[in-house]
Amino acid sequence: MRLEDFLLMRHELLLTLIAIIILIAEIFTDDFKKQGIRPLSIILMAIVTIVGFLPAPTGTLFGGMYQATDMRLMMKNILNIGALIVFIQSASWLKSDDNQNKVSEFFLLLISTLIGMNFMISSGDFLMFYLGLELATIPIAALAAYDRYSNKSSEAGIKLILISALSSGILLYGISMIYGTVGSVYFDKVSVAYGATPLQIMSFIFFFTGMAFKISIVPFHLWTADVYEGAPVNVTSYLSVVSKGAAVFIFSIMLVTVFQNIAAMWKDVMWITAAITMTLGNLFAMRQNNLKRFLAFSSISQAGFIMLGIIGGSELGMAAVVYYILVYIFSNLGAFGVIAAISNASGGKENMSDYDGLYKTNPALSLTLTLALFSLAGIPPVAGFFGKFFLFTAVAEKGYWWLLTIAVLNTIISLYYYLLPVKAMFINKAETSIAYFKSDGWTKVGLIICVAGMVIVGFASVIFEYIRTLSFGL
Amino acid sequence: MSSESLILFFIVGVFLVGGAIVFSTFVPPSSVNPNKSDTYECGIPTKGLSWLQFNVGYYLFAILFLIFDVETVFIFPWAVVMKQLGMVAFIEILIFFVILGLGLLYAWKKHALIWE
Amino acid sequence: MTGNQLMFAIFGMLIIIFSILTVTSRRILRSAVFLLFVLVSTAGLYFMLNYQFLAAVQLTVYAGGIVVLIIFSILLTSHISEKFEVVGMKKQIFSGLAAIAGIILTISTILQTEFKATEVAAKEVDMEAIGLSLLNYGENGFVLPFEVISILLLAAMIAAIVIAKKGKTQKP
Repeated sequence: MRLEDFLLMRHELLLTLIAIIILIAEIFTDDFKKQGIRPLSIILMAIVTIVGFLPAPTGTLFGGMYQATDMRLMMKNILNIGALIVFIQSASWLKSDDNQNKVSEFFLLLISTLIGMNFMISSGDFLMFYLGLELATIPIAALAAYDRYSNKSSEAGIKLILISALSSGILLYGISMIYGTVGSVYFDKVSVAYGATPLQIMSFIFFFTGMAFKISIVPFHLWTADVYEGAPVNVTSYLSVVSKGAAVFIFSIMLVTVFQNIAAMWKDVMWITAAITMTLGNLFAMRQNNLKRFLAFSSISQAGFIMLGIIGGSELGMAAVVYYILVYIFSNLGAFGVIAAISNASGGKENMSDYDGLYKTNPALSLTLTLALFSLAGIPPVAGFFGKFFLFTAVAEKGYWWLLTIAVLNTIISLYYYLLPVKAMFINKAETSIAYFKSDGWTKVGLIICVAGMVIVGFASVIFEYIRTLSFGL
Repeated sequence: MSSESLILFFIVGVFLVGGAIVFSTFVPPSSVNPNKSDTYECGIPTKGLSWLQFNVGYYLFAILFLIFDVETVFIFPWAVVMKQLGMVAFIEILIFFVILGLGLLYAWKKHALIWE
Repeated sequence: MTGNQLMFAIFGMLIIIFSILTVTSRRILRSAVFLLFVLVSTAGLYFMLNYQFLAAVQLTVYAGGIVVLIIFSILLTSHISEKFEVVGMKKQIFSGLAAIAGIILTISTILQTEFKATEVAAKEVDMEAIGLSLLNYGENGFVLPFEVISILLLAAMIAAIVIAKKGKTQKP
């Protein structure tokens, strides 16, 4: 192994490096200098994100255990962008008195989950995959319980850790069956030897169930709303965007490569679950009043839409999935950013009725939220429209007309509830709407990045074309 | 370990433990007295339940113990082949140690290692 | 029945019985102790496979560490003498049926499968072999998981301190 080989792992190594730098800064500074840790972490994360985009070699390491392809690097870059935006958005929230003395822990835990996700995406065998998955979920549970004095936050932490332990157990049982029938944990060996014996089908079902919990696909989604509601807003936004994105990435990679021999079967399974996920997510989202719960159910139904691209399975489908996640990161983080800013400024107001007449008092925030919701719904001028369009094309290309019909119907339903907050902000009259407040610099930067992302990613067709060129190699 | 020795071990274990219990039930003279099952401590009857809520510090110590317990598991195989692999093994364990050592330093700095 | 099969049957029975007791016991501390028995019996299976290292790990980490952690966590929550309430008959029947259906499905599927048993002489997995593959960076080497585990342990440590530590750091 030569020293240059480590260039392949630069995402993980750099993230580990900045985690160590932040840890050292936390250990060896006194309370006064700790103020610097917030900007330090954000700047370091920005550097890592930019460095990630530099061209670099691809290949495999550790005997196939670690794989770096252009597509996987792109996925890691997208996750880095999402994490960076979450970092920026959390900056003003972390300044409050309650959180003063655990600022660096917030960053450290987020970075360690990001390291886990990166290793998971690059994994070439089930062992690294599982290890990355654990590293990506355990610290997040601690972050969900970050608000130590809020019962709901603790409840969210407990629910998250229990549900991820359960799903990891199911997943691991499936993996052990795969190992039992194939005799290897390396993806390339498994994909060749994987057939359709009853035990192998069963192992796939276990594997699918475990992953479905992580992505919150419908029969396994019950934890989502409670956790999203209870956790602090910034953690929720990370959970709904970056964690989910990473799980979708590795799931789609594994379905297309490892389980390619039973593609016909998993496409049927995905077909049904995708249809149920979109529909039920939408129906429940309509009835929510708390905006965090609202976005939780909206993210469930978005997961259903993302599955369309995986079912498409073609190289267009993969590109559509990756592109959609990129768009989804900007849109969802934009929405959560506004909710976080308002919640912090108004002392925890998160209900839809609190937003009545917001346009009069806070026009900029209202417009940002509107744009984000438009993008989530898929209304033409913003990027979300193109994301959904490519997903639908991928399904239509393979001739899944019924599924396409269901998806289009669901898009129309979703228009209704995505416009509810917009109606509250612009049309509803309120005697006491949330007073005008000035958000600080970090929040502004975070929201501006999201808005710019939603607009630019939609109009610059270069980005989609670029992702599409990568998706050949996976 | 062959299975025969395991079986022998198992039978002897069951016999010794079970035998001791059976022996002590039947052989010694028994005298039942309510005072015997009373609380022993200082002779004062306890008020309320004697279950106490533990300090959260125990949990912290337990989890730190567990983490370094797992670390030991990984160091042990390393120690066996350390001489054989030389420099490579040294670098690999150095990374492992530095990361976990920083964790220990962090716990120290956060006063997780002292009793409050 | 050979000696090995007999031992396997004993350990298997112990694991099954104590697992059921773990989930059915209405006192949580008893559940924890039954779990300890399950873990120890599992260590017995590893000893049967001549895998002393794994058995030792099972005893030190699981039986020694994790059960202690579980018991501490139980004692940390206050209402310790409380029993779980009895679940309604309907729920009991339905969850029982679901569990039995799952067991039948899983076992019948496993029995249908012919595992490719490769004839290998009973091999002692000694410490040297474990150490060599743990530190090997080629194929079938595990140095990358080995290093990633250190990050996982570090994250777990930080996470535990974030959750459990009191708000203001007190000076000693």
